[in-house]
Amino acid sequence: MNSSMINAMVSMSGLQQKLDLLADNIANVNTVGYKRKEATFEDLLTNLRSQPQSFNQPGRLTPMDFTQGWGSRMTMVQPNLSQGPLQGTDKETDLAIEGNALFEVEVDDAGSRAYTRNGAFQLTVGANGDTLLATEDGYPVVASVRDAATGNRVEGNIVVPQGYNLRVNPDGTVLGVSSRRTIELGSIKLLQASRPAALSAVSDNLFVIADGINSGDVLQQIVPDSENRISLRQGYLEQSNVELSDEMTELINVQRAYQLAARALSSSDTMMSLTNGLRA
Amino acid sequence: MEAAKGATTMLRGLYTAAAGMISQQRRHDTVTNNISNINTPGYKQTNAVTRSFPEVMLSLTGAGPENFTKVGKLTNGVFAEESLSVHLQGDLTQTNNSSDFALISNIAVDGLSFDASGKSVGQGGEVIFQPQAFFTVQDQNGEIRYTRGGKFTLTEEGFLMSSDGSNVLGTDGQPIQMPAGVGLSSLILTKDQRFIDANGQDIGVQLLISRIDNPNLLEREGNGSFRFATEDGEAAAIAPDDRVEVRQGYIERSNVDAAQAAVDLMSALRAYEANQKVIQFYDQSLSKAVNDVGRV
Repeated sequence: MNSSMINAMVSMSGLQQKLDLLADNIANVNTVGYKRKEATFEDLLTNLRSQPQSFNQPGRLTPMDFTQGWGSRMTMVQPNLSQGPLQGTDKETDLAIEGNALFEVEVDDAGSRAYTRNGAFQLTVGANGDTLLATEDGYPVVASVRDAATGNRVEGNIVVPQGYNLRVNPDGTVLGVSSRRTIELGSIKLLQASRPAALSAVSDNLFVIADGINSGDVLQQIVPDSENRISLRQGYLEQSNVELSDEMTELINVQRAYQLAARALSSSDTMMSLTNGLRA
Repeated sequence: MEAAKGATTMLRGLYTAAAGMISQQRRHDTVTNNISNINTPGYKQTNAVTRSFPEVMLSLTGAGPENFTKVGKLTNGVFAEESLSVHLQGDLTQTNNSSDFALISNIAVDGLSFDASGKSVGQGGEVIFQPQAFFTVQDQNGEIRYTRGGKFTLTEEGFLMSSDGSNVLGTDGQPIQMPAGVGLSSLILTKDQRFIDANGQDIGVQLLISRIDNPNLLEREGNGSFRFATEDGEAAAIAPDDRVEVRQGYIERSNVDAAQAAVDLMSALRAYEANQKVIQFYDQSLSKAVNDVGRV
């Protein structure tokens, strides 16, 4: 079969995938804490059309055989974890991370973890009747809290007692404030991704680490300070880091590449029809 | 007897036109592949070079063994000889992604000045191509490959990996592995391709950039990588005074020229069509010879 046709077809499906990715980004231009997805292209396997030794003529610049490519594919879909703009909301359960870090949340009773930049939290009621700080979907936020019995710091959730308001400091410590006193509720756990490629985006604005990968290799716990320039902002939400102008530029680029590949496809179609018309 | 001879002469032209169609098809395939890779980082455009078949001398025979009459020289067709990669610098795009690296290579050679197409023609007409710099990677089979596609990623074990899963090599010839907990976003690449952390501390990792004196000896393998076709291909680490720069947070775009590709596509198609027409004319001539000549 006409290999131009296969080549153009394969590449068009790759470009279509990229278009889908751009559409996904554009659709999430207003999603709190959304991180744009990026992908790249790679040329596909090249094969060598072998040539007899007599083809080795003077003036030839390359080694023997004629290389033939088979198009391109989309590869390396990964999130771009760059900072999104912060928007003030004045809501005490809205938190935004400034700097390179992620919140950790519990997604099931077995203790499976997921990671997010979406700080639009809410207070929800846990299984034992406690009021917990959790995501919009009800996944409790992981924090380091003081164990009531031993006094040691353990991993738990932020439990807000009745009659207390939340106050979150830039370093992640959470205080409960009432008209009479202020109590410490714990400090929100923040993680920094040193291997962002291992994070895969799932629904509900969460990232997970694939099974079989040790989360400690990918994420490191980090405490906000002035050195690492990470801080938590209460009453703010991090907006999506999708830049509409960037996406539109990419869109134009991809669409034109698609068009050109479609031209190549129709051109190879014309060639096949010419071959068919050899004998009228 | 004479009629048979006439037919072979005509068929010769028929096969010449068929060879023309096949080589235009190769050209078309090559242009299509360039178009397909118009957004592939580090991709180098390839051109299909065609060459005519060796010349043959035609002689008039049948006039007796003593008096051969020379008719003249003739070539019997054309073939797609080689697919030549154009190793020219692609444009750089800023991605702000700390795992993207772009190579800027403009290696100077004493006594030679390279033109815009990256070659220098000597006084004797010999053509010398500009040496090029490449990232050095090791594929899953342990083979050394060269690439200009600097879209890398860090695996969870900390290995720096190219987009097809090959390990990027350091100057010690070993795959680059970042220390645990150290991400690329916290590292800065120096002018001599070493990585330093935010405090300016060298972490002991340096990218191996290979200089290849004649990039035409490389064979494209796909997945953005090149290999030497023969054993005697030589690559050396770049010298400090070679004009090579690696930029972090940038990507080298494909050097395919969209306008040129669109024109080449049309030109290959029309040349294919012209050859097809020639075949049809030969067919008509043959039809005349077979069906009409000698009709009473």
